[in-house]
Amino acid sequence: MIVGPGAFLRMAALLLLALVVQLAALGHGGLLGGHVDLIPLVVAAVAYYAGSISGCATGFAMGFLVDLAVGQTMGASSLVLTALGYGVGRYREVRDPSHSLLPVAVGAAATAGWVVVFAAVSFMLDIGATISPQVIGDMVLTVLLGALLALPVFVGTRKLLRPSLAVDPFETRRRRRPPRETGPLGLRGLEV
Amino acid sequence: MFDKKVIRRRRAALAIFVALSVALLTAYFGESGGGFLHAIQRGAQEALAPIETGASRALKPVRDLFGWFGDTIDAKDENERLKREVERLRSEVARSETARRDARELRGLVGLQREEGFPQGTRPVTARVIARSPTVWFSSVKIDKGSNDGVRLDQPVIASGGLAGKITSVSAGTAQVTLLTDASSAVSAQVMPEGANGIVKPEVGNPRDLLLDFVEKGRRVTEGTTVVTSGFTSSRVESLFPRGIPIGTVTEVDLDEIELYQRVHIKPFADLRRLDWLQVLTARGRPAETAGVLAP
Repeated sequence: MIVGPGAFLRMAALLLLALVVQLAALGHGGLLGGHVDLIPLVVAAVAYYAGSISGCATGFAMGFLVDLAVGQTMGASSLVLTALGYGVGRYREVRDPSHSLLPVAVGAAATAGWVVVFAAVSFMLDIGATISPQVIGDMVLTVLLGALLALPVFVGTRKLLRPSLAVDPFETRRRRRPPRETGPLGLRGLEV
Repeated sequence: MFDKKVIRRRRAALAIFVALSVALLTAYFGESGGGFLHAIQRGAQEALAPIETGASRALKPVRDLFGWFGDTIDAKDENERLKREVERLRSEVARSETARRDARELRGLVGLQREEGFPQGTRPVTARVIARSPTVWFSSVKIDKGSNDGVRLDQPVIASGGLAGKITSVSAGTAQVTLLTDASSAVSAQVMPEGANGIVKPEVGNPRDLLLDFVEKGRRVTEGTTVVTSGFTSSRVESLFPRGIPIGTVTEVDLDEIELYQRVHIKPFADLRRLDWLQVLTARGRPAETAGVLAP
């Protein structure tokens, strides 16, 4: 990611927009028993396009904002989202995946990671109440809804961040390399 | 990708952000409610409140759209359930009309001023819900009324139907309501008319079910009876909730032979998953006399 005032402004706008939409619209009601969670999707999308360093910084900032706005234990969301951003960023850097539907899988995995690890952290901190088995169903539905919402969130995030991305993975993939005109005769024109 | 400098920078970034998060967690747990981080949190909530209020109104169609999907799927089951409930309520109305007439006559006999239902003189302040916690572990909502409107810490909050929670944080223009379904919630309650006492706690992850715990094994608790706040008072402590606020109906009673106490499942009257308007009871009030008559 090209670090500069533009990138910071875009990132801040994205995080604030995601937070406000989540708290004011999506957090109010569930769908089929689960709830739509935009927070891990946005962090995963930024990490996916901008890499692990930007991913963990975004995760920390998003978590900090969530904890501030919601009034829950400060640092808990930051810790989980930092790890989530780093993980997704590293996945992209190491594997360099190319399938256009991959955001769906990444979104589902990111939502699953967020709900499971946040539950674990909450358990370790101050949850002393009885847990209903229904919470598992809620988690599964939240992951499915996350997968459904992943594609538009990833597309929107990419569009917003594109001017600040050092490498746009889809752009480089789409641009075909010219056929080889030198080298061994058998390899010419085969893009080897 | 394998440049040592890049690897070092990447690891340093991760270490710094994880360390910052852990430091935040430690500091937050270490300080009191009036500490620095809590103050920042309150300030941020205050600053975000106008944006959230505007967004909450602007994004209502989005909420309604999501609600419509869920409602359509639930509508068929709900229709059947409501038909059964209407039948049950019809017979209940007939019974309660008789009981009301009897009660009026009894009141006239004993010559006491009694008011039915809810505790009196509680000075409710109506507030709009402007934000909601995104996780099931911290079940709280933010409302658009704060200390300027007379809202104070620990005041009870009711929703359409019954008790919703209590105020846990207040700023000038907003307040945080911790709902009954929050893991930290506990409310002293009484089953009416049997009078069995217990503590209402949540079953985290299931907003349609609350647990009435610590009910003595010998006390009779019947399914379908109403649970209200007990509003206990002793020489040293006093419940935050006035006596007589309805909480829910008993749906199931667990009788475990090993346990010392019975466990009673309650379906809350208030729909805690979908709250748009709440009322904060800004004065303690006095309990309705009928609650006292019903208790043994």
